[in-house]
Amino acid sequence: MKVLITKISFLLFVVLLAGMARAQVTTITLQGKILGPNKNPVEHVTIAEVDADGRTVHAVKTDVEGNFVIKISSTKNKLSISHISFRTQVLAINNRTTYNVTMESNSKDMGDVVVVSQRKSDNGNVSIPERELTTAQSHIAAKDLEEMQAASIDQALQGRLPGVDITANSGDPGAGMQIRIRGTSSINSSNDPLIVVDGMPYETAIPSDFNFGSADDQGYASLINIAPTDIKDITILKDAAATAVWGSRAANGVVVITTKRGAVGKPAFTYTNKTSITKQPEAIPMLTGDQYSTLIPEAYMNSTGTPLNTQNVKEFQYDPNDPYWYNNYSKNTNWIKAITQLGVTQDHNISMTGGGEKARYYASLGYLDQKGTTIGTYLKRISTRINLDYIVSERIRFKSDLSYSYTDNNRNFALNLRDLAYRKMPNMSIYEYDEYGNLSGNYFSPATNIQGQYLGVSTSGTVSGTSNPVALAKEAKYNIISQRVTPHFNLQYEILKKVLMATFDVQFDINNNKNNSFLPQTATGRPWTETSVNRAYDGDIDVFNVQSKTNLVYTPTFKSPNHSLISFISLSTYDNKYVSQEILTSNTASSVLQDPSSPSRTINSDARLVATTGQTRSVGLLFNAQYGYKDRYIFNAGVRGDGNSRFGPQNRYALFPSASVRWRLSDEKFMKRFQKNIDDLSLRASYGESGNAPRRDYSYINTYNTFTWTYLGQAGVYPASMQLSDLKWETIVGQNVGVNLSMFKRRFTADAEFYVNRTKNMFFPGLQIASINGFSNVDMNVGTMDNQGFELGLGVTPYKTKKWQVDFNFNIARNINIIREISDLYPLDKGDITANGQYKTFLQVNNPFGSFYGFKYKGVYKDLASTIATDASGKNIIGPTGQTIYMKFNYPSIGYTFQPGDAMYEDINHDGNINYQDIVYLGNSNPKFTGGFGTSVTYKGVWKFSTFFNYRYKVDLVNGTKIYTTNMYGFDNQSTATLRRWRQDGDVTDIPRALYRTGYNWLGSDRYVEDGSFLRFRTATVRYTMPKKMVQKLKVKNLSAYVTVENLFTWTNYTGQDPEASVRGSDPFRVAIDNSYTPPVKTYTIGVTASF
Amino acid sequence: MFTRTIFKVLMVVLLLPVVSCKKWLDLQPQDGLTGAEYWKTKEQVQAAVTGIYASLLGSATGSRNAAETFFLWGELRADMLTSTLATTNEQIDVINVNILPTNSIANWKGIYETINYCNTVIAFAPGVLAKDATFTQTALDRAVAEAKAIRALMYFYLVRTFDQVPLKLTATSSDKDIISLAKSSQDTVLAQVLKDLNEAEVYAVTDYGDRASNKGRITKAAINAIQADVYLWQEKYTECVAACNKIINSNSFGLISGNDANLWYQTLYVNGNSNESIFELQFDNQALNTFYTLFNTNQKKFLANPIVMDEVYTVDFTDPLKYDIRADGAAVRATDQLIWKYMGLSNTTSRAQVESYAHWIMYRYADVLLMKAEAQNQLGNGQEALDIVSLIRTRARALIATQQNLAATDKVGIADYVLKERAREFAFEGKRWFDILRNARRNNYQRLDLLLDMIAGTVPPNRQQSAIAKFKDKNCHYLPIYTYELTTNKALVQNPFYK
Repeated sequence: MKVLITKISFLLFVVLLAGMARAQVTTITLQGKILGPNKNPVEHVTIAEVDADGRTVHAVKTDVEGNFVIKISSTKNKLSISHISFRTQVLAINNRTTYNVTMESNSKDMGDVVVVSQRKSDNGNVSIPERELTTAQSHIAAKDLEEMQAASIDQALQGRLPGVDITANSGDPGAGMQIRIRGTSSINSSNDPLIVVDGMPYETAIPSDFNFGSADDQGYASLINIAPTDIKDITILKDAAATAVWGSRAANGVVVITTKRGAVGKPAFTYTNKTSITKQPEAIPMLTGDQYSTLIPEAYMNSTGTPLNTQNVKEFQYDPNDPYWYNNYSKNTNWIKAITQLGVTQDHNISMTGGGEKARYYASLGYLDQKGTTIGTYLKRISTRINLDYIVSERIRFKSDLSYSYTDNNRNFALNLRDLAYRKMPNMSIYEYDEYGNLSGNYFSPATNIQGQYLGVSTSGTVSGTSNPVALAKEAKYNIISQRVTPHFNLQYEILKKVLMATFDVQFDINNNKNNSFLPQTATGRPWTETSVNRAYDGDIDVFNVQSKTNLVYTPTFKSPNHSLISFISLSTYDNKYVSQEILTSNTASSVLQDPSSPSRTINSDARLVATTGQTRSVGLLFNAQYGYKDRYIFNAGVRGDGNSRFGPQNRYALFPSASVRWRLSDEKFMKRFQKNIDDLSLRASYGESGNAPRRDYSYINTYNTFTWTYLGQAGVYPASMQLSDLKWETIVGQNVGVNLSMFKRRFTADAEFYVNRTKNMFFPGLQIASINGFSNVDMNVGTMDNQGFELGLGVTPYKTKKWQVDFNFNIARNINIIREISDLYPLDKGDITANGQYKTFLQVNNPFGSFYGFKYKGVYKDLASTIATDASGKNIIGPTGQTIYMKFNYPSIGYTFQPGDAMYEDINHDGNINYQDIVYLGNSNPKFTGGFGTSVTYKGVWKFSTFFNYRYKVDLVNGTKIYTTNMYGFDNQSTATLRRWRQDGDVTDIPRALYRTGYNWLGSDRYVEDGSFLRFRTATVRYTMPKKMVQKLKVKNLSAYVTVENLFTWTNYTGQDPEASVRGSDPFRVAIDNSYTPPVKTYTIGVTASF
Repeated sequence: MFTRTIFKVLMVVLLLPVVSCKKWLDLQPQDGLTGAEYWKTKEQVQAAVTGIYASLLGSATGSRNAAETFFLWGELRADMLTSTLATTNEQIDVINVNILPTNSIANWKGIYETINYCNTVIAFAPGVLAKDATFTQTALDRAVAEAKAIRALMYFYLVRTFDQVPLKLTATSSDKDIISLAKSSQDTVLAQVLKDLNEAEVYAVTDYGDRASNKGRITKAAINAIQADVYLWQEKYTECVAACNKIINSNSFGLISGNDANLWYQTLYVNGNSNESIFELQFDNQALNTFYTLFNTNQKKFLANPIVMDEVYTVDFTDPLKYDIRADGAAVRATDQLIWKYMGLSNTTSRAQVESYAHWIMYRYADVLLMKAEAQNQLGNGQEALDIVSLIRTRARALIATQQNLAATDKVGIADYVLKERAREFAFEGKRWFDILRNARRNNYQRLDLLLDMIAGTVPPNRQQSAIAKFKDKNCHYLPIYTYELTTNKALVQNPFYK
């Protein structure tokens, strides 16, 4: 340390001396006159003395007459003459003392110059020309997405890039998206890619131990804080060699976002507006109240053998002499309609950009107001961003970016509101009638009825039991207000001009979230003594995040142009701290008092007052070098060391190497004859490792907790977690082979990638262990998994004339997951085939997972005779005493005898007993191919018509909605398909009889398995850009307008609502079950963009 | 030179964090006790022992608490309960002898958690001796005795419910300790249970100095009571009598007078920690028991079976002043069949939900007396058994209708009489199923008829035949291993009946 201080003092001394030395130089006075192109004097022209590095020493401005006088300190310096409207001139001084200069107009710069520069790709650290990339990356300019009505950029990216799978968690405003690059690399650990904004990682995860009360972390959309209009382009780093530079948090891929920056020029204002209307499409037809009230007594009768006693169960009594029950339970309510509205979205954004020689700026202000299609949901966002560049000299420049966003997001208290509405008894009234039959104006929320009662809210935000969906939508609330400020400072210093450059970045991220929820009594109808009444919740999370990055980039120039080298060292630090607190109280005095601060019960079994705090730190040191020989052979190698505070001292550090290579075939001599047509043909190969840290802080530490109750007045302590001495880095080893082909002056481009990503020491947080150990789960490295597949992206411009241009692009990808090795503690099968609605899944090492097994459904037993058991030859099976044997289910442990009207399952082994021996392979829930394609047609550069489609091919889906809307097992409302149910002997149908809470009519069988292939017409846009001549008349720079329609149509054989069911989580036993009740919303957007 | 200096400064700035990052990356939670800081003082040992008891009242991980588990295991398959509309499917399946390995009532997680807390104390408390000079060997022995006794009690419940269970005697404190363990035979487990109890008996406390601790924590008498129960289960009657006599001869316990029915009920069940009590779980207003939701809300899961009033206690319709004090207003509320034992503040007033902290009695003096009676009868001392039953019946003012006049030599008759008296005395105290099973399995299932008769009365008519058929297989008397355990512990094999 002492040495360091000495060195700094010494440095300061040197700088002072140098300054003094300069002060002693005698001054020289220069003067002159500046004229414009039309020979008129120009005022306010900056005349600056600049040194060899381009740093301004001294500057003056011209007066009204265009005259100036400047004292300069050295004749070796130069004179820079600049004005915003004219081209800058730099003149040598030497012995000249008079300068009469005529400025040239700037507009020449903006003429029709064909730019032949190549696209550069930015991995967030250094930018490398795309021609020289050795790794797998995808790139998209935000311009391509601007017509879509998307609140956050991930929404707009859906289906655009091969191997990047983005699915929405819900269609409500503010809902998060799930981004998966090349599948899920980890079972149950974090699979979200790292987001890098302007060279610095951008935190999207929220503290994992924060209990949301009524939301889950996947529902948290952090990217919502970046306005899509501020984004210039997006690069997705896919293979491990590319992500290796980002280290431990980049194991799941990296999304590099670059925001817009200022450019030299007059201030330019751009205003964009998007207005859209979203509509919930017609969903599954459900039973009306009348149909429902015939179904339920029938189900009850079938199951118990006695009729439903409507004297006690007045919900089905329909007695006009009892006006209270009659009026409240004789309606035909469409609960779904009652909670649905037309969504309207307004998105305004205004930005200003410009700058001069020294300083450039980009500033924007946006306002988004989105009203969801479910009553009670909205999102409002104000976002601002200022990106400033200041160029001190040719050697030193700094950037200061500041972004702030405020979002106010209201969502339904119950995340399963639609589900509740579908299940709700349709003969119930929304509003309550009094005992005289008059509408009281209150919501009809009985404390209990035949459907049950309100049973509480789960940690994932779903409400179980009954409650009035309309009251929940309108009166209950779940509000999230978040404010995020992200200042980012960057300093660049060229130590040796164009050879050695140092950059320093520091970014602070202050992210405050306030969640506020309230559940009014009117929604649940529960008595006031209970804690479910008027529950008010308040939860705050404050995150403070500091990251720094120091890069030293060495790019020597070789004498021979055959060699090129880009190398850098990067040291990054990350420190994330959070504090959270939650309060939950109940029984506030009225439904108007919705904050826990109002007088309310705090001591009860539900109340919560929790505060947590946590901190994570990591460091990374990276060496990377890229060497190119003759632009034909390019090698890249790097090694990164990572340290993370989430590991115990013995496993804290790890090294991750990476290497990649590109061979440009097209420049080889033997390819010369194709040179006319082939612009570029390259082969690439890469290998890279990167590490993944656990999700939770301190998880490796053995902790003791105190029970929240005492025993005999004494506090008791128990071991709450065990020490994880074996927990180590999850390593993803990626291998990638790629081909780039570009032909006919880039009119045909193709990128193909083949990859194998092997995840070693795969994390499994909460791996279930035998409870004889005293704990039932543990975080552990459990095995090895492979993700392998290919991606192909094609771009074609088949037709191009001066007037017309037709573009076509296409992408396709396939990914499969295979477990290669798994811990003994990991279970190998899942699912109880004897329980209704469950499928069996097995985990087989070296086989792709996602296959599921169940019974074969053969329809319905039409009468008693058909339930007689038969052997393989079709003869009746006779019992030992000669008695008739009827088909049984899972004899002996269940031993249920099938009755007429029950579901018939194929008796594969013909033993008269339907059990685990009769299950067969039913399908696999991994799609064979996924991807998208689109076309755009441009006419005279004025009209543009573009479309985009996405698709999934060969995927077996379990239609969960069908299971629960046709099982006739409880008091939940059913779909109109149940009108076909078996009702009496001899009925031949495909829907079994109604059976209240008994029977085996909805076992996991092929009845619910369907092909989920689809082709979706995702967007269609017509855009009109006003021609230059007309624009100039209107005195604007640019003016364009467009109309976009989203989710226009879906071609599929799938009978469920939405074949694009996202498989949540990454459990190898997962079965793609589609529980959606509504297809994706249709959105109609009108947009205008104008620049001044 | 200028550049070079800057370069040097740069290198220092670059390397400085690397040097100090070892410390920088070492973050400890700010809101919890870490293992590294624990097991250093005698207070920590004390807190860990208290933690064992606290874990019997409720679970830190959301498992079913021990008291409710003992109730379900001890009553659900017996004949004193009846279901309601709110009874869960799993509970009904157990009642109807339709138990599948997926039934969570067979989940033993909470019990093994407590066992791990015991193992942790047994493993780590001795180490404190060297670190805390004020921690004495005596204090250590007492702490370990308490842990071993609770562990023994837990295993005793497990073997009676599952027959064979894995015997885990080591603490799990790190991921290196996780093991898969096969089942041990009932004899092996019971041998370990007795070994633990005998070791604990040596060091256990007789008097903690306050009544609540004497009843709420393990004492010598509590250990003797568990020993008596284990010996009785093992059909070692001499040892059982000896263990009972240790308690009887200590003269520290007695029967609460039954002269005032309400006072008797309040002393024994409402206030708790009575002179009759030997070991009971001390629920209080911080740790409510879960019985309120089981027995008293609209969604109550169980009611008393009508036979409890009609046959077990009976009613004297000729003289309303003649009644068994253990019946209406104590075990049940006769008007609506409510299970009253844990719900009443007196014979007539009910507890509110916030007052639902009736203690769960594990052993009391009457239990010791009746265990002794059962053992003496088997040893051929039928008269002594009859005398004890008579003592219990007199205290309870049992009705003539339930009285039996048996010859002292009628071994079978006396055994049945003791069993019936136990039903009256310990109604809903989680003992009934184990009592019937113990009597049925005696002398190699000589009295299987006890179980078959019982099940014929509790199962709905359409399931009767299959239930009886199942009960003829003695493997069916034990619960299946919960599916979760089978998938997570590869060394486990499902119990025979459920394969």
